[in-house]
Amino acid sequence: MRMRGFATTATTGILVAAGLCAGARWHMLKMSGRKDLTGVKSCQTCHGRPRTVEELPWAKPRPHHASPGGLVVSPDGKRLFVALDDMDEVAEVDTVTLLVVRRSKVPGGPTGLALDPAGEHLYVTCRSGDRVAALETAMLKEVAAAPVGTAPVGIAWIPSQGSGRLVVANSVSDDVTVLSASPLASLGLLAGGREPYAVAASPDGSTAVVVSRMASLARGDEVPAAEVTVVDPAALRVVSRERLESGHLSEGICAVPGRPWTLSPILKVRNLVPITHAAQGWVVSAGVAVCDLSKGSVVELPLDETNAYFADPSGIAVEPSGKRAFIASAGANVVTVVDLARLSHWLETADDGARRGAIDDLQLSPEYVVARVPTGLNPRQVALSPDGRTLWVAERLQDSVLALDTGTLQPIGRVVLGDGGSNDPIRRGERVFARASTTFQGQFSCRSCHPDGHADGLAYDFDIDGVGRDIVDNRSLQGLAGTEPFKWTGKNPSLRVQCGPRFAKVLTRSDPFGERDLDDLDAFIFSLPPSRTRSSGPWTDAQRRGREIFFATGTTDGREIPYGLRCSTCHRPPLYTDHLPADVGTKGRADNTGLFDTPHLLGIAASAPFLHDGRAATLEEIWTVYNPKDQHGVTNYMNKIQLNDLIEYLKRL
Amino acid sequence: MTKKSVAVLACAAAALVLTGPLKARSGRPAAELPFPLIERFEHFGLEQGLPAWKVHCVLADKGKVWVGTTKGLAVLEGKTFNVIGPDQGLSHSVVTALAVDPATGDLWAGTLRGLNRISAGKVETFTQTSSGLPNNVVYSVAVGKDAVWVATAAGVGRRDSRTGSWSLFDATNTLMHEPWAYAVTLSPEKLYVGIWAGGIVEQDLARGTWKEYRDPDGEFELDLAPDDGPISDISSWATWEDGILWQGSYFGVARYDGNRWKSYLEKKSPLVSNFVNFIAAKGRVAWICTDRGLTVTDGTSWATYKSAEGGGGTLEITRPGAPPERRRTATAMSNDFILGASITENEVWFATSHGLTRGILAGRNAQATGVRTTPTQGASR
Repeated sequence: MRMRGFATTATTGILVAAGLCAGARWHMLKMSGRKDLTGVKSCQTCHGRPRTVEELPWAKPRPHHASPGGLVVSPDGKRLFVALDDMDEVAEVDTVTLLVVRRSKVPGGPTGLALDPAGEHLYVTCRSGDRVAALETAMLKEVAAAPVGTAPVGIAWIPSQGSGRLVVANSVSDDVTVLSASPLASLGLLAGGREPYAVAASPDGSTAVVVSRMASLARGDEVPAAEVTVVDPAALRVVSRERLESGHLSEGICAVPGRPWTLSPILKVRNLVPITHAAQGWVVSAGVAVCDLSKGSVVELPLDETNAYFADPSGIAVEPSGKRAFIASAGANVVTVVDLARLSHWLETADDGARRGAIDDLQLSPEYVVARVPTGLNPRQVALSPDGRTLWVAERLQDSVLALDTGTLQPIGRVVLGDGGSNDPIRRGERVFARASTTFQGQFSCRSCHPDGHADGLAYDFDIDGVGRDIVDNRSLQGLAGTEPFKWTGKNPSLRVQCGPRFAKVLTRSDPFGERDLDDLDAFIFSLPPSRTRSSGPWTDAQRRGREIFFATGTTDGREIPYGLRCSTCHRPPLYTDHLPADVGTKGRADNTGLFDTPHLLGIAASAPFLHDGRAATLEEIWTVYNPKDQHGVTNYMNKIQLNDLIEYLKRL
Repeated sequence: MTKKSVAVLACAAAALVLTGPLKARSGRPAAELPFPLIERFEHFGLEQGLPAWKVHCVLADKGKVWVGTTKGLAVLEGKTFNVIGPDQGLSHSVVTALAVDPATGDLWAGTLRGLNRISAGKVETFTQTSSGLPNNVVYSVAVGKDAVWVATAAGVGRRDSRTGSWSLFDATNTLMHEPWAYAVTLSPEKLYVGIWAGGIVEQDLARGTWKEYRDPDGEFELDLAPDDGPISDISSWATWEDGILWQGSYFGVARYDGNRWKSYLEKKSPLVSNFVNFIAAKGRVAWICTDRGLTVTDGTSWATYKSAEGGGGTLEITRPGAPPERRRTATAMSNDFILGASITENEVWFATSHGLTRGILAGRNAQATGVRTTPTQGASR
């Protein structure tokens, strides 16, 4: 009797379990349209995710910090202006007492600063507001504003016709706006490099030089290159474009008095060298690009040393005498001092081969680097007083500005702008993200390849899968929250796994992050909202039509699109991912698998190139070139108008 | 003969001497032509640095002359031609259309495989697979205040200069009879598109509405009812300038002033040929490039340049109400099959099927290019 009862219970249990399995399989088939999802082990893979973007960390309020960015000193040297983009403020500092005397609200993320020669007007780029504001310095009040391109960052005053002109680097729209200073008005929009970032007046003051932060997208054996764009603001023309080969993260530029040079800090990225060569210093190194505008030539020189690296060089300033340059290494918390006469001597005596290969010679920097000055956390921008005696260094992740005596290279004091945010896990996580000390010899930080948490547009060879195998496009970390699993293979269920001990073995070649660092890193990365794109304002007709195509269940000629091959099946709102791997027919000869994680689509337009190995330079190419068999959704029925509409919709996400 | 009579005769003779060259053969005073004449032609070919003999298009802009050939884009700057080809990033070697953005100075170059933006030496390409460009075969480019327009083998494309977004217009969403667009040209308020077998379509830029101009008689080769509309539904070119739209066809030319159409045919006007490749306009004067020479006209006065047998050329001037005046010229176009033209203050540049030609305008102060040119006699091939 007891046996019979046991058998009945067991049979019932088996039948229920079988029924549940069959039900689950039917459910997965119904919801995904896929029969190949044998690897799905848990309901959690798909369920338990945020159902609305409002639930995501990046959509919730977060603490704001002073985070000093742009700096500029008044012509009399008595006042320092500091852009506090995270607070929507500009601060005015007394350079003697080092106290903040005034703060002014400037909506839209004030980032870059420029003063007119008299110091009467302060011009401010507002990165999230897509505008330039003019403030009267007497009252530190906004008196005028003008719209510019998307995400303006750098700005410079250029002596020009009449009242002078302003040149603005628009980092997302990849263009440069020229404005008249009085009245403040846009005069022209010129094509820049990829992510124009910093601006300075050229050595003779007649033109503006704009450096792009990212290298252009390269195809095949092309060498990616950042760009110094030389702009004539009077003629509203681009005069020339100088290539910074393999140059990345160029966040600063300045002219050298007395020489026809501009200097731009760069990261030299050798992205297709297997990451195992980090041990030899062959993956990322820091340098400075010397652009001779009179010759149109560029020489890239290292700032690193053989076994010591100074990651993420960012802000740069040159003494009025033209003798020394000061370069802030944001990842190393150091200001590097370069003797320009010694640098010039080396350039004059080196032959062409030595100049071309200079950036790879890490024994070279002692020829011209004369000092390394420690700073607070994450020195990003620098500014010199008009007499050149004081160097101001924005210590972004410490909420302070360091004042250095350029004669003794000793600190004079600090301007304290905030509490540093040490109680905020997001701020702490950003510090982990930006510090290079967690990588082998301090060669690079997370930010080196993920500036602002975004992507650098390069593909990398992570040799864990075999050297030359599984070369993968760098993915943006912006808008990542809730989009687990991670990695192109979708093998990492959480950021803690992604950034844990295995990460140290594969990438940083150093001690792994500690538990608290991992928690903080999680908090920071998940606080990053999706990337900004150029698409804003009211919905266009094309975007509306594109949305209909995205959610279409049938082709325009009346055929039903199989459930598993509809855009919205795998790229399911609200994050436009189903968190599952998919084979969209893109397995290449170097790939070990054809199954790749389905990326989310929020801010996707800002993440070129596309597909797992970055083979598609544009969104269009995903479907015009790399979807011949309709494996990446049924799309080949579309005419060009429909495809353009779909892309306009994607740009909107 | 009295002294008075002698004086009168002397005055008359003097007047005859002074005004003689300006008189038409009828003896009546010659009317002032509404356009300058070309006094001399210079030729540019392989010897001067052009990469190919066949020149599809030409554009003179602020001291530079951009030349679209079958083997790349050449630019004459100073004394030499520099060539931008596929090795320099150009999307294709056959350059078919050129336009300069007056706001930025960037050059837009259409090719048989995509569109290119050349900005301070950097070449950026847009193809039908990598961008929203309707089709890789680009016949015409026009730059407006806020967008670049292209005529392609599969419709018209508009690239928004601020956002980079593309809009496409073809037979599915406009009044275009078919998508094969040969020309785009802009007035301040309107876009005009020359459609192969579809006449002209017009877009009101502010409203986005479309209007179609078709040949009312419906005959391609014949103009049964003169001045009733476009000369033919076959549009090979369209140019708008100073309130006048000029339509080129392989069956003649039409002029539209916003109210009335006027047709011009080889047999009924001094037009040198009905086969029109291109029309450049300056003011209200059209420079009509055909398969058999060049005709310049404002619709009333005409001048036609052709090569002559044995070298040199001919110039035929027709003034209103006067018989044609024929002249021999020492120089001529390098070839009478003319594919493009670009007009400046002092000169006109011509793209021909056998070389680039510079026409120096009479009475103007044209500077020498510094390039040693080939013998100046016409060489029709």
